[in-house]
Amino acid sequence: MTESKVYLRDGKSGNLIEASLFDEVTPDHLVLWDRDWVPAMQAFCAGKPPGQKPEDSHWDWRRKSKEVTGILGYHSFALVCPKELQGLMMTNDVTSARLPAQFGKPLIYVEFVATAPWNRPKVQDAPRYRGVGQVFVLAAIETSRNAGFKGRVGLHSLPDAESFYEQKCGFTRLGPDSSHQNLTYFEMTETQADAFRQNH
Amino acid sequence: MNAKKTMTLNLTDQEMRVLEDLAQKKELTKTGVMKLALRVLQTLDARIEPGKKLLIEDEATSEKSELVIL
Repeated sequence: MTESKVYLRDGKSGNLIEASLFDEVTPDHLVLWDRDWVPAMQAFCAGKPPGQKPEDSHWDWRRKSKEVTGILGYHSFALVCPKELQGLMMTNDVTSARLPAQFGKPLIYVEFVATAPWNRPKVQDAPRYRGVGQVFVLAAIETSRNAGFKGRVGLHSLPDAESFYEQKCGFTRLGPDSSHQNLTYFEMTETQADAFRQNH
Repeated sequence: MNAKKTMTLNLTDQEMRVLEDLAQKKELTKTGVMKLALRVLQTLDARIEPGKKLLIEDEATSEKSELVIL
């Protein structure tokens, strides 16, 4: 397991805050998820109809992590700051690209990514930290480059996150995918990945 | 970083041609293709169990065909 130094922004002051990105979700991270993340999500969702709950509120990261333990093609990431879990991501490197310009070439596919409830403006008026999504997109790009995939990344976005991937990250929108609950599929090329890296 | 071990792989001319073609098509080294093949096979092997099938769907016609994996 590797720990990398990354930076988030304080939700109130906007100051850069040092954080740790781990390229493996460990049992310790899942303890933090159980201890802090789950109760915060449950508190926010209490009494709300399904349509008003965060789209990922039902994600069970302990189960997701267990399902891919020992599978070479899957990778998990945890973002910790200072000693609290700020985000989780799971990727695989056994998926191929759909964009015509890079069709069939391997990419890093982001299976799941989420920021902690207290980092979401919809959950907490002044999010504790900003920039978790950018850190994970950058991590996916670097994983892609390290695997020889030249920064190619693909993902299906939950509706609330579509503008983030398209406008802030520069992914290409390929449209709804009937095989993935009609979620919109996005893909990043080598050129788009290079542009994102230069800006972050 | 995990320690790495070296192995020798003997391929027929045809197998080597396929490996070289895939390396070019996927923009990977030949070693990269072999590692990818290992990861894909392990992923499929872990996912496919009795009662589950791997299908390839033609988006244009919605026609599905089963892909049989050892």
